[in-house]
Amino acid sequence: MLHTIISQRASQTPEKVAVIQGQRRITYGELELKASRLATFFVNTGLQKGDRIAILSENSPEYIIAYIGIHKAGGIAVDINYQNTAREVQKIINHCLPVALIAERRYLDGIESCVAESPSVRTVIGIDRRSKRPASPPERMSTASGHLQYRAFDDVAQSDAGCGVLPVMGPHDTAAIIYTSGTTGDPKGVMLSHDNLLSNASSIISYLHLTEHDKVMVMLPFCYSYGKSLLTTHLQVGGAMVLENSFMYPDVVLKKIIEEEVTGFAGVPSTFAILLNRSAIRNYGFPKLRYVTQAGGPMPPQHAQELIQILPDTSVYIMYGQTEAAPRLTYLDPRDVIRKAGSIGKAIPGVTIELIKEGGIPAIKGEEGEIVASGRNIMIGYWNNPEQTRKVLRDGKLFTGDIAKMDDEGFLYIVGRQNDMIKSGAHRISAKEIEEVILGLQAVHEVAVIGVEDHILGEAIKAFIVLKEGAKPDAQEIQRYCAARLASFKVPKEVAFVSDLPKTNSGKVRRHMLKRPETYTHLQTSREDALKT
Amino acid sequence: MTHEQAQDGEGELNDMDLRSEIKKYIIENFLYGEDDNTLGDDVSFLENGIIDSTGVLELVSFVQNTYAVKVADEELIPDNFDTLSKIEAFIMRKKENATYKHIDASQESAIVS
Repeated sequence: MLHTIISQRASQTPEKVAVIQGQRRITYGELELKASRLATFFVNTGLQKGDRIAILSENSPEYIIAYIGIHKAGGIAVDINYQNTAREVQKIINHCLPVALIAERRYLDGIESCVAESPSVRTVIGIDRRSKRPASPPERMSTASGHLQYRAFDDVAQSDAGCGVLPVMGPHDTAAIIYTSGTTGDPKGVMLSHDNLLSNASSIISYLHLTEHDKVMVMLPFCYSYGKSLLTTHLQVGGAMVLENSFMYPDVVLKKIIEEEVTGFAGVPSTFAILLNRSAIRNYGFPKLRYVTQAGGPMPPQHAQELIQILPDTSVYIMYGQTEAAPRLTYLDPRDVIRKAGSIGKAIPGVTIELIKEGGIPAIKGEEGEIVASGRNIMIGYWNNPEQTRKVLRDGKLFTGDIAKMDDEGFLYIVGRQNDMIKSGAHRISAKEIEEVILGLQAVHEVAVIGVEDHILGEAIKAFIVLKEGAKPDAQEIQRYCAARLASFKVPKEVAFVSDLPKTNSGKVRRHMLKRPETYTHLQTSREDALKT
Repeated sequence: MTHEQAQDGEGELNDMDLRSEIKKYIIENFLYGEDDNTLGDDVSFLENGIIDSTGVLELVSFVQNTYAVKVADEELIPDNFDTLSKIEAFIMRKKENATYKHIDASQESAIVS
């Protein structure tokens, strides 16, 4: 298990740096000490094996200490995306019923009501990285009835609470729950065991040839499975992570890569689109950068080609996976990136991939079929959601919903998706979830949300709306309504008012027609025309 | 919106108008028209999550097209773009360092670097 590996690292090389953020350097020894103190605190306050503890934090040393500390205490770490609105946070808290919440102080004000009223949360630990003083509680938490205890993170991590008896964990115990958007719009909590995470990390370590000398630039949030795999792999191998929480200014990140002698860089397609189109990457040299990985959606082959030209001494890996697979399923070897442009490669070590046609028949080479994966990395299931679990897990195999075909040499190519998920930037977004929110507006009669091609994001969110008679909202009103209820990355970038939505005879919206403007232009109207209908 | 609206009677950029125009653009495009008075002149876009990594690219396009300044890739840094005041100062510096050329829809090529 990861926390036992870190304990070993800490005893062998306590002074080795594990995490770098700004001027901060956190060693394996410090990680181990603070995570142990946190674990002892939880055990002393009555945490039982399998209890959930939610983390609501940007990437930081405190996040990592919290994550390891929860595992040491026998708990399950639940990631909550810090970009979520209070409404979304509440849904997750009510769904997984955590006994404690470790959150950045700045996020607590917006969610204090839902935390104070939660039937499960007994302890809140506030992280305040911007202040030298321990974080004070929000007003409602300090005055909440006696069941809620508030503590500052630094107080807990720096106080020696003695030796609590920490539980013994097994490899098949649940280590983490990562929430992902479901096609039904309700969040789904992917339960991953210690073995799921570590077996997948071992496989990634083998094909990326990671060692303790590696140092990865981490911009991807740990609350996402791609970011989480950077944490797991580099701590498992004894390497280091350089944390940068924003890619708003790409040259700042590029200079940091050089300055910190970073050996690995991980991004989603939009990361590389920005690097290639709006950074001075061509002006710099990266002598220490050994590899680059890309996952999280299809990257245009020309971007991969350009990246290889700009970074001739760096290996470029294209990868594919899902949170439900902890997360990696396939990779394309750097030697094949040009020759097999557009491919997601082959199964990673320890994973078996099959392509299955409708009716459960295996697809032959060249035929399209659903990607079905098996291996030690496949999730336990969705938290408290057996129905959704049954839909994707059958006979221990993960039915991904992604459609692919295989060429003569066994390389896989994704050709489509079975569901209505949108991949925008680093996010996987449910169209249904956005539609449900927009339908909450009185003025809206019908809505369909799709992903439209975007040269930076991969897909941008577009909402097609049929208004009720006499209704007069404008696009900004729709966006404001969404922004109050959904994380900012789920707010439609474009809103189109139409007189009708294209549908099948059974009434299902023909989303593919909305994606191709030439097929639905007759339906598009100006807002004024739409209001007349 | 064009840069003409940011000029005073002498044909020079007016600081207040320029800042107001940029503020208006940010409110319209990133805050969906909602001005709750939190977007002060020195409020960090990054720290307050007002603009993200793709939004800043749209902001740069707006600055280039509206004020006829060329933003080099290496100039896309917090010191130049992270607050209203910094963007304003950046544009004014660019204007001072280059020959100001009037730009309108028919003079796209007049962008100065």
